[in-house]
Amino acid sequence: MRQSYKIAIVFLIVMGFFPLFSNSSWLAVGTTFLIYSVVAFSQDIILGRAGAFQMGHALFFGLGAYATAILNVHFGVPIIYTFIPAILIPLIMAIVLAGPIIHLKGDYLLVATIGFNIIFIQVIQNDVFGLTGGPNGIFGIDVVRIFGVEFMSQTAIYYMSFILLTLTLLIMRNLDASKYGRAMFYINKDDIAAQSMGINVRYYKLYAFALGSAIAGAAGSMFAIQYSAVSPEAFNVVQSIMFFTIVLVGGSASLPGVLIGTFVMFVLPEIFREFATARYLVFGLAMILTMILRPRGIWPVKFGNIPNYLKKDTK
Amino acid sequence: MSDYLLEIKDVSKFFHGLVAIDDLSMKVKKGQIYGIIGPNGAGKTTLFNCITGLYTPEKGEIIWEGKKINGIAPYKIAELGILRTFQTIRLFSEMSVAENIMSGRHIKSNQKWYNGIIHTPSMKKDEKKNWLKVGELMDFFELSKYATTPAGDLSYGLQRRIEMARALAAEPKLLILDEPAAGLNENETIKLAQTIRKVRDQGVTILMIEHDMDMVMSLCEYITVINFGAKISEGEPSFVQDDPVVIEAYIGSDEDE
Ligand SMILES: Nc1ncnc2c1ncn2[C@@H]1O[C@H](COP(=O)(O)OP(=O)(O)OP(=O)(O)O)[C@@H](O)[C@H]1O
Ligand SMILES: [Mg+2]
Repeated sequence: MRQSYKIAIVFLIVMGFFPLFSNSSWLAVGTTFLIYSVVAFSQDIILGRAGAFQMGHALFFGLGAYATAILNVHFGVPIIYTFIPAILIPLIMAIVLAGPIIHLKGDYLLVATIGFNIIFIQVIQNDVFGLTGGPNGIFGIDVVRIFGVEFMSQTAIYYMSFILLTLTLLIMRNLDASKYGRAMFYINKDDIAAQSMGINVRYYKLYAFALGSAIAGAAGSMFAIQYSAVSPEAFNVVQSIMFFTIVLVGGSASLPGVLIGTFVMFVLPEIFREFATARYLVFGLAMILTMILRPRGIWPVKFGNIPNYLKKDTK
Repeated sequence: MSDYLLEIKDVSKFFHGLVAIDDLSMKVKKGQIYGIIGPNGAGKTTLFNCITGLYTPEKGEIIWEGKKINGIAPYKIAELGILRTFQTIRLFSEMSVAENIMSGRHIKSNQKWYNGIIHTPSMKKDEKKNWLKVGELMDFFELSKYATTPAGDLSYGLQRRIEMARALAAEPKLLILDEPAAGLNENETIKLAQTIRKVRDQGVTILMIEHDMDMVMSLCEYITVINFGAKISEGEPSFVQDDPVVIEAYIGSDEDE
């Protein structure tokens, strides 16, 4: 088995037992870490794998969160059912929005996706159709109920997030060992060569956007449950930059890398809370140093994910 | 249907008003090893880029198995069975040799969109079938011991072999090689010629650009000579070799190959 899968399993075991050893405030930090890890992986599908410079990912995270919030608060839809639109709406929006700009290269795509994110924030801040609650967002999101059982404790929410991350990791593993996942890598590494091998660049990039956005939407729904509220600043461009940075600092397409990146960007700031603003100075420096010293990330991806029966002669 | 696999009819391609291919015509028969030669900058690679869809010619027709294909996207050209290598090697250099060759199996794999998320028994079978094919190709090209090595870490000669294996993985009808012997030593070149012959004997038509005249003359069955984008001669090696126009073009361009 690949080393990174072993690491992922160890990580899941540790996170599985984490609630037994932590108080409720750490449990909240742990939950946020799990949710943001899911978002980071979804960004990694688009940026780290397909190589598309998507810097508006918070938009899709936000669409999922607002879908759950709006449907639950304004229309009384039980939380559990809001999961599906929270996945489908970002998925469809990804195809609609990314479709016309998918051919743009690197920096052009980056600027276009930032544009989408800014427009999204404008829209929800202006309380469109009286649904998004303006700058304050939406409060009073219900708890998850399944067959009349309420899952409202922090531990319950933690484990729901844990399940979501586990599913995301399973998807990442399946993607890695499939035609679709490989096609993304080929496009990323050399799109001319990829096309010449018969790969429809546009299709597989859109696939990456759709899949990544759907997963981000699921994470957004979980985020809304965790805070029982949503507001625009959780989904602005600064957040998108964070997700983008996590992938590059941790290591594009690297499971351990993305987890480390999320830990560094979201959990360390919590641990060093008492140092207030000074910590951001340290993080800024850490980001710069990582890019200089380890341009492929703290834990770069290792390729060579091939079946064992092909490794017979390797030295 | 005609017995020509590929027909180029009066094709012209311009860059910023300058002609790179000038009213060029040629016909490649099924099963042939067809050579294209000409001095540097003659437009040979540009012609390949037109055939493979990377460029769209301004004029003329490219006919594949009787159907016009100019203007079609490169990935669709590959799906038709036209696969290529590049003059300046274009491998997925961070990825392993096996993964590089696996990219050639893309069009042969029948996985569905949901198989990127959920694996099914039929998908696993497809996956295994394609990896086994990659294994066969690594054996054929003596690359097996580098299966997990990043392609970019290997020597030039090995990289050229990987590129060819990758193209062949797609089971092409036409294999287009852009200077496959460039940068190879003499032994490697001899081996390459043998390999190309073997590939052809398996039923693959070969269209190649090559500067190594010994190799071209011994390997190719038919040759077109291009200079300044236009065809200046064509025929069997023995004819082309002694054609005064060809000799003139090469002396004129200060080339001693
Ligand atoms: N994308 C491009 N844009 C502008 N000019 C180009 C482009 N590609 C090729 N050319 C020009 O077209 C002409 C033919 O180039 P091409 O690469 O086809 O030559 P070639 O016969 O393959 O030469 P060589 O033997 O050196 O590989 C050259 O003058 C080149 O500068
Ligand atoms: Mg050339």
